[in-house]
Amino acid sequence: MSTSHLLPLELIDKCVGYRIWVLMKGDKEFTGTLLGFDDYVNMVLVDVTEHDYSKGRTRLPKILLNGNNICMLVPGGEGPESDSMEVDA
Amino acid sequence: MENGESKGASGAGDARDPSGFLSEIIGAPVTVKLNSGATFKGTIYSVQRSHKILPIKSCDLQSVDGYMNIALESCKEIHNGKVLRDWGDCFVRGNNVTYICADEAED
Repeated sequence: MSTSHLLPLELIDKCVGYRIWVLMKGDKEFTGTLLGFDDYVNMVLVDVTEHDYSKGRTRLPKILLNGNNICMLVPGGEGPESDSMEVDA
Repeated sequence: MENGESKGASGAGDARDPSGFLSEIIGAPVTVKLNSGATFKGTIYSVQRSHKILPIKSCDLQSVDGYMNIALESCKEIHNGKVLRDWGDCFVRGNNVTYICADEAED
């Protein structure tokens, strides 16, 4: 697969229907299944877990996430609790 | 600034993209989290699209312009699972919104 001409939004488009890990600017992360997004990278996610460093996890059935505070997207990411991601505080 | 026609041709929009989600949740119970961390529960009265507020009954779809301005009715501010304050009808300016969550059922 050639990735030389894959635009950023095309990468996100490839993630539609799959689990995605969203890291926000603040102390907040989301994992969920990506249903859709727009040009601002506002995203519709289902089966979402909100991970807040201070408040723990919250389950959310379906959300529209504002793209304004999104920092990074990890396709297929399992979130901050995944085994491969042991990070010391 | 006519209809953006960005996401598909159907006026009703696809419930899977942000634009379709916003039309889908009008009249539905939602939880809105703001960037400040404040949480509001209420019923969506309207969402703003293309610089004009459309009431529930006439939510013909235009392209979403990136705003998440919303009008909520029977809006309650929730903190640690308890009602902090009952705001009734209120308007939330979209730039403060982190997410809008479609609640599965009212408590």
